[in-house]
Amino acid sequence: MNATHHLSALAIVLPLVCAFLMPLFDRWRRGWCTPAALGALGFSFAASAAMAWQVMTAGPFYYRMGNWPPPWGIELYVDYLAVFTALTMTGVSLVILVYATKDLLHELKPGLLGWYYTLYLLLIASMVGMALTNDIFNLFVFVEICAIAACGIISIKATKECLEAAFKYLVLSALGSGCLLLAIALLYMVTGHLNFTFISQALPEAMRLYPNNILAALALLLVGMGVKAALFPLHVWLPDAHSSAPSPSSAVLSGLVIKIYAVALLKLLYQVFPPGIFEATPVLTILLWMSTMAIIAGSMFAIVQEDIKKMLAYSSVAQIGYVFMGFAIVDPSALTGGILHVFNHAMMKAMLFLAAGAFIYCTGVRRLSDLKGIGHTMPIPAAAFTIGALAMVGIPLTNGFISKWYLVLGALHGGQPVFASVILLSSLLNGVYYLPIIVNAFFGEPQGRVAEPRPLPRQMQVPLVVLGVGCLLFGLFPSLILGLASRASQALLGL
Amino acid sequence: MGMATSFLPVWIVMFPMVMTLVIYYVEQHNERMRNALAVATSVVTFLSVLSLYPYIMAGNIVEYSMFQLLPNLEISFRVDILSFSLALLSSFVWMLVSIYSIDYMCKEHGCNRYYPVLIITLASCMGIFLAGDLFTLFVFFELMSLISYVLVVHEESLEALRAGYKYLIMTIIGGLALFFGIIITFELGGSVSLGGPALITVPSSLAFFAFISFLIGFGMKAGMFPLHVWLPDAHPVAPSPASALLSGIMLKTGAYGLLRVIFHIFTPGMLQDAGWMIILAVVAIITILLGSAVAITQDDLKRRLAYSSVGQMGYILLGMSILTERAIIGNIFHIFSHAFMKSTLFLAAGAIILKTGKRSIRELGGIGRQMPFTMFAFTLAALSMIGIPPLSGFLSKWTLSLGAMDAGLPYFVLVLLVSSLLNGLYYLPIIIAAFFGAEEGHEHGLVKISEAPYKMLIPIAILAVSCLLFGLLPTNLPFDLSRVAADYLLRGGF
Repeated sequence: MNATHHLSALAIVLPLVCAFLMPLFDRWRRGWCTPAALGALGFSFAASAAMAWQVMTAGPFYYRMGNWPPPWGIELYVDYLAVFTALTMTGVSLVILVYATKDLLHELKPGLLGWYYTLYLLLIASMVGMALTNDIFNLFVFVEICAIAACGIISIKATKECLEAAFKYLVLSALGSGCLLLAIALLYMVTGHLNFTFISQALPEAMRLYPNNILAALALLLVGMGVKAALFPLHVWLPDAHSSAPSPSSAVLSGLVIKIYAVALLKLLYQVFPPGIFEATPVLTILLWMSTMAIIAGSMFAIVQEDIKKMLAYSSVAQIGYVFMGFAIVDPSALTGGILHVFNHAMMKAMLFLAAGAFIYCTGVRRLSDLKGIGHTMPIPAAAFTIGALAMVGIPLTNGFISKWYLVLGALHGGQPVFASVILLSSLLNGVYYLPIIVNAFFGEPQGRVAEPRPLPRQMQVPLVVLGVGCLLFGLFPSLILGLASRASQALLGL
Repeated sequence: MGMATSFLPVWIVMFPMVMTLVIYYVEQHNERMRNALAVATSVVTFLSVLSLYPYIMAGNIVEYSMFQLLPNLEISFRVDILSFSLALLSSFVWMLVSIYSIDYMCKEHGCNRYYPVLIITLASCMGIFLAGDLFTLFVFFELMSLISYVLVVHEESLEALRAGYKYLIMTIIGGLALFFGIIITFELGGSVSLGGPALITVPSSLAFFAFISFLIGFGMKAGMFPLHVWLPDAHPVAPSPASALLSGIMLKTGAYGLLRVIFHIFTPGMLQDAGWMIILAVVAIITILLGSAVAITQDDLKRRLAYSSVGQMGYILLGMSILTERAIIGNIFHIFSHAFMKSTLFLAAGAIILKTGKRSIRELGGIGRQMPFTMFAFTLAALSMIGIPPLSGFLSKWTLSLGAMDAGLPYFVLVLLVSSLLNGLYYLPIIIAAFFGAEEGHEHGLVKISEAPYKMLIPIAILAVSCLLFGLLPTNLPFDLSRVAADYLLRGGF
């Protein structure tokens, strides 16, 4: 076990510890808060990168917490999917945090910044934990941390709509957690194990003995993760929560948090349940049709929105459908596309939310029709928004094209051209609601507050530029991340 | 037949692209420099394309592979005789239009947007024609379509924005259809290269979807019925030089794409056996008749020209659906002659609009006496449209008709004749009124209208003379290129 192996634990633990130090710093050394939070996330990101290198060169590895062997101790399994997810989560959240350091001063009441960092770090640590863990109960613990922290960063603004949205989220998320806990209990009941590897070894035998228990566990799992990942029609909490939260929160919630549940479900479905389960139950068909509904309905709802953040939130409902669709078409290309879309959509949606946040920060305008001419007065956020929107539509040489290419190719290859056409239809709908905004932004005279925005701080410009360049970079050179994604999909499918 | 790797195709595409940035930088300081650079860029691009002439005519193919995006999916360039012909045509017309733009645009707003967009559209157009695989073609096709939106809505009037919205949505639909077609081709053929053997040789339902997708994607751009709806709105609202390019050149990218699809993705034989070409033939006939018939009812000069483009693109599609050698020659030659004719007409219309501000045909009485030179060029191009010998339009119609006869489809000739009659019905009244009609406005004591500046007249003159020369001379460059290109397409070599 070399030093890199320990990084897998440290990548989770360090942000967790830092999270609890934040209130202390906030009281005694206020200036330390921001650097400490950035440092913790930066470390996590570097650790994820080191692990990715390790996994790509030497293959996946297990890490035993406290050196306790699996049935007793918690085990982490660092494989392709895990490092891919960890890299996405830490990388994008780091960029968002840079933006947040400035934006939050404006959105939050003074004195709350330290608490915000606490919640933010908890959120990221729990997501990295979910990506890495190989223990189903540990997964549940991280799910809970994530849910509470997410609820916290929505409600921290303490306006009426934020609290309402947070409450809605809390109730539905608790429902999801309950389903998840029941599912875990059922699995534990029939197998006697909590470790993924052990459960998956015991399940084929248990399937024969207690088929109904496992069926129920699967159903509960689907609902639990579905609610948390906002899979249509379980998405009702998302538009309110994501649109009312402070912009960095929206970016991290829409870009990252809903994806991690999709990834967790993916891990459970492909790594824990035996392959026979897909023939025995229509779980993938259900997932496929739910994602189809999500894609169509999410885009439809987005078209009629007037509020920029609400529109982006509904767009996320549609985009999470892409991810699930990629997971549910059992084909290496589609799965690669789905996994890749986790990363690509994280970048695009984070950028779009941050750009929207920049518009709101500088002008206070949220209505789409009032953003006329914003491209002239705020070129950098408007350019970022344009790149993000084009990536959403899937214009070639943006990263959105790459994931769409793999998804459609997978749908065709898997003999399901219907779903290929669903993705195309949705791209058209994306065009219908994103492009008029861009046109509006660049053609037309700015009026009112849009004409004279306050200057955008550098800390908020740089993340937009980084994400915008990233979207183009990973569209031009997808091989940077594609190797990881395609190996992850092959490993999951056992190829 | 030789193959060679050369950087020249990349240069032809990248040079205008880089110059776009230079122009964007320069125009912040110096407007004259901007105009000069725009013209210089298009001239250099044209000369660069021209420099390939001896090499291509000797029967060689130039290839260059830039980089691989995904496995088996790369950005590559490949210049064969067809690519070369169209690139030469486009860069030539582009050069004239950018010269024309200098005086036309000087009274317009937003020139600092117009010129960079003009040049980057040239780059993407070159990219389409020189693309070595379907994916590269698609990338540049999308780039051109999206960027030319800026040209369409240049006026920023409500009308322009509405037309632009229609254009944008149709572009997205077309782009997605192309994407679908390309990905099916990739799935069935394992590659999207245009250089290799045909990729889909067995008819299947998926292959049929691919064919329909290509038809939608490229047909949308080519103004094919029923996807032409954006064209009559979008082309007239653009500034006249941009209309000339939109109608004269950019429509042809759709036709070019379809040619590539028919000959390189599928095989003509397979398409005919499977009966899929009938679809193309039927929509082509409807496009011809509809475009010409609706043009008669239009009163706006540029709108009438735009509908005429729909009809003319129908000829090109029809030639493609017949697939005999002479039909293909006629088809490619019509791409040339229509480019010359339609740019002449739009540029002449632009000169009239600039000088008089009149767009309505009813108000154009006597304009031929005030602007004799412009109207003479207009007349030449219009007569060529109708197909009066010895103009170039006659030669393309003649060749197309011969091709239809070869295929034993005489009723196609009938369609061409009816359409010519319709063309006569909507072009001749303009000309008659212009030269013999009563002048309007004189009794109100308006200022005397004179000819446009010479920088606008020279491009019009060159294009109008081309219409005449390329019909008058039995052997001319476009016709030779069309012949060799048709030969190359049908026999797969020289």
